[in-house]
Amino acid sequence: MGAIVRAEQRTEAASVEEGQSQYLTFLLGGEMFAIPILNIKEIIEYGSLTTVPMMPAFIRGVINLRGNVVPVVDLSVRFGRKAAAVTKRTCIVIIEIETGDEKQDVGVVVDSVSEVLEIPRTEVEQAPSFGAKIRADFIRGMGKINGKFVIILAVNHVLSIDEMAMLGQAGGAEPEILAPV
Amino acid sequence: MEFDQALQTFIMESRELLEAMEESLLGLESSPDDPDSPDNRDAIGAIFRSAHTIKGSGGLFGLDGIVAFTHVVENVLDRVRGGEVPVDGDLVALLLSCRDHIGMLVEQIAVDAAAQPDKETEATGIMLLNQLKAYQAGAKGTAPAVTGARVQSQAPVITTLPSGGTVESDNWHISLRFSHDVLRNGMDPLAFIRYLDNMGKIVHVVTLPDAMPLVPDMDPESCYLGFEIDFHGDNVGKATIEGVFEFVRDDCTLRILPPHSRIEEYIQLINELSEDKIRLGDLLVNSGSLTRKELDEALCLQALSAESCREKSPTQDICQLGEILVKQGMVQPELVDAALGKQKVAKENKVQESKLIRIQADKLDQLINLVGEMVIAGAATSLLAQRTRDPALHEATSTLSRLVEEIRDSALQLRMVQIGETFSRFNRVVRDVSKEIGKEIGLSIGGAETELDKSVVEKIGDPLMHLVRNSMDHGIEKAEIRRQRGKPAKGTVHLNAYHESGSIVVEVGDDGGGLNRDRILAKALEKGLVTANQTLSDQDVYGLIFEAGFSTAEAVTNLSGRGVGMDVVRRNIEALRGTVEIDSREGAGATVRIRLPLTLAIIDGFLLGVGSASYVVPLDMVMECIELDDAERQETRESNYINLRGTVLPFIRLRDQFRELGKAGRRENIVVVQYAGQKAGLVVDELMGEFQTVIKPLGKLFGNLKGVSGSTILGSGEVALILDVPALIQRAVSKEAQLLAYGL
Repeated sequence: MGAIVRAEQRTEAASVEEGQSQYLTFLLGGEMFAIPILNIKEIIEYGSLTTVPMMPAFIRGVINLRGNVVPVVDLSVRFGRKAAAVTKRTCIVIIEIETGDEKQDVGVVVDSVSEVLEIPRTEVEQAPSFGAKIRADFIRGMGKINGKFVIILAVNHVLSIDEMAMLGQAGGAEPEILAPV
Repeated sequence: MEFDQALQTFIMESRELLEAMEESLLGLESSPDDPDSPDNRDAIGAIFRSAHTIKGSGGLFGLDGIVAFTHVVENVLDRVRGGEVPVDGDLVALLLSCRDHIGMLVEQIAVDAAAQPDKETEATGIMLLNQLKAYQAGAKGTAPAVTGARVQSQAPVITTLPSGGTVESDNWHISLRFSHDVLRNGMDPLAFIRYLDNMGKIVHVVTLPDAMPLVPDMDPESCYLGFEIDFHGDNVGKATIEGVFEFVRDDCTLRILPPHSRIEEYIQLINELSEDKIRLGDLLVNSGSLTRKELDEALCLQALSAESCREKSPTQDICQLGEILVKQGMVQPELVDAALGKQKVAKENKVQESKLIRIQADKLDQLINLVGEMVIAGAATSLLAQRTRDPALHEATSTLSRLVEEIRDSALQLRMVQIGETFSRFNRVVRDVSKEIGKEIGLSIGGAETELDKSVVEKIGDPLMHLVRNSMDHGIEKAEIRRQRGKPAKGTVHLNAYHESGSIVVEVGDDGGGLNRDRILAKALEKGLVTANQTLSDQDVYGLIFEAGFSTAEAVTNLSGRGVGMDVVRRNIEALRGTVEIDSREGAGATVRIRLPLTLAIIDGFLLGVGSASYVVPLDMVMECIELDDAERQETRESNYINLRGTVLPFIRLRDQFRELGKAGRRENIVVVQYAGQKAGLVVDELMGEFQTVIKPLGKLFGNLKGVSGSTILGSGEVALILDVPALIQRAVSKEAQLLAYGL
């Protein structure tokens, strides 16, 4: 753990043209997902997380990443599943998200990271219209690895800052009215 | 100095000069009745100097547009200074427009150094020039004004102008010796001579290459040349000629002899300059400044006086110029003293100036960031030291943290600027707006020396502008109404700033009609912002005008009344972690009070624990901490207030508010916080004491989160959230109101 994977500075468009991309695969609730490695800045060990109150559950909290405060998202909760239990292999993957002309780092909690794989363009299928049990716009495609499918995530949708901030507003206020303390 | 850098300096200086010019012009306008009062004379002088300096430095950069325009303005100002043109409102207004035009030209240069003014600007310029003509009609020497300022390329070394050669005794004689560094400092000696030519006629120039070393020793970047110039100009004074060389004053030796100078002065000149005396004498003869006979006489006289001096004071080779002059009865001793005094003052001014250093803001920000990191690292060190229980280490770290604290304070001090500059910009705004809306309104400024963070100052300008305009448009009544109400016809807007318990307060006030409570309430009901059965304090009602789309003005004017603005003002101020409130007395005026944090980077915080998490509250809000004992805990199970020495103190249970899981600690404490006159309690588990808090923004993701204003990193490396106390209280208030409304 604690290994740092630096993203290669290649543009996504270029790699698409080449017909293949590199993906980081990871496990989440027993299921395998993949993220294009160009978005990934580093992978760190899970720890010393500060919860932020009055935020929806999928925002686990914030961590200190070498002097910068970075929000951490629990992907399981974001997908509408149960919060991931923290184990020895739990990691935080730091992903760079572009919103407009701003860049923001966001951490993502995953059960364990697997490996960096190359999935040729030809081996990526369209997302199914249902059945994945994840919002369709979160899925960029289905990659085939050794005859099995992995879900390639559309990072900018899954971790859309604007959407999460809006949910934050709603998530912070609504339950309090409905459930008096 | 790089050319670009030099140009940046020019632009910055010009902005400052233009600001000073505006201030003086406004001062002049406010007391035009007595044009000869010393204040007004100073103001005119200052305006003239500003224009002159801009023209001069503009010339150095070949900014012909600025030079040409400013030259005309300067001419008019010169006539004003000389009392030939009376100062009146129209002239000041015209000069203000001219100032704006120069400002526009400078800003265009700032965007693109090679920019040509666009058509619109050019048209404005021509219009202003035409208006200025009325004031300069009949003035001599204005002919070369517009076109003459253009720098012509001339043969560089020795120039004898066609009209020269004739012996004219009423020529000025100018001796120039440039220092070696003049080129390196970005100055072109030729530019000055060309510029001089614009002011009159250069009759004769002799270039002195004597200081030129042999070719192998020569540094092509050094200037080795000197010039002897004979210059003829009508209406040209010594100061004007000196003014030409103002920018190389430190880089050259300049001697100016007026027409019909005494022969001794030529001698003095010959003595002072380093070149071979005989040769120099010949030069002067050649150039027509002196006749051969005069030179011989002079040399003779000099030998004599030198001898007589040596007899009196053998240690001194040649008497001081002043002494000789006095001795020979040419100058009165008092005059010399006065001149010396003046020199001294000038020198002191110079020393003061050089104490200021211009620094790029981002360098400063980087320093502040580093200091911030140091504060965090320091906190981590003291935490470790405390664990070791080693008293010596403990002492060492506490010394260190004290030093770090001092460094932090002085680093932050660097960013502090006085608010006065921002305030004085409103002089012009108030003047222009009052003309526009036809009300007579003055501006009074207080607390101009109050300091606050530069980034705050930058962002406060727009909200203040809104508020001042609002005050003028809505607040201050028309003159006849004012008279009816027994107030002076002239309204006043005041700007004031002062420090108050760790924050800074900026006030925008007026002596107008004040806010009409009923009208605001009626409007709010109409807009559905409040319900009829709500009881609202005056503060609440006045606060309604900050709601979006709220305006009680009957007519939408150019300035305000559209209902946008006040909500923007509040948003801007809240973005600075500040608050805004209104004080109003019907018929006597309203005051908008903006409360801002002193700095945006680091605060003194108070660390508290709730459950497993730590939170920071700004220390200056914390009044006291009290323990909530068992009896009180029982009592307050259902209600959220306690009896604090006879007064009711409502409190917020942070544990509930944050939905912190797990049992409450064995002990609970109340932190009593005060903000804007209100007191409230925060129930927490643990009190962890003072903590220097470096504020780290939480980012856009938490933008909608109310009650948390930022985060910081603790010594342990963990992140702690900074609580936004007013927002928390606000949240608690609205939550309770909602719960009661739902009948839950």
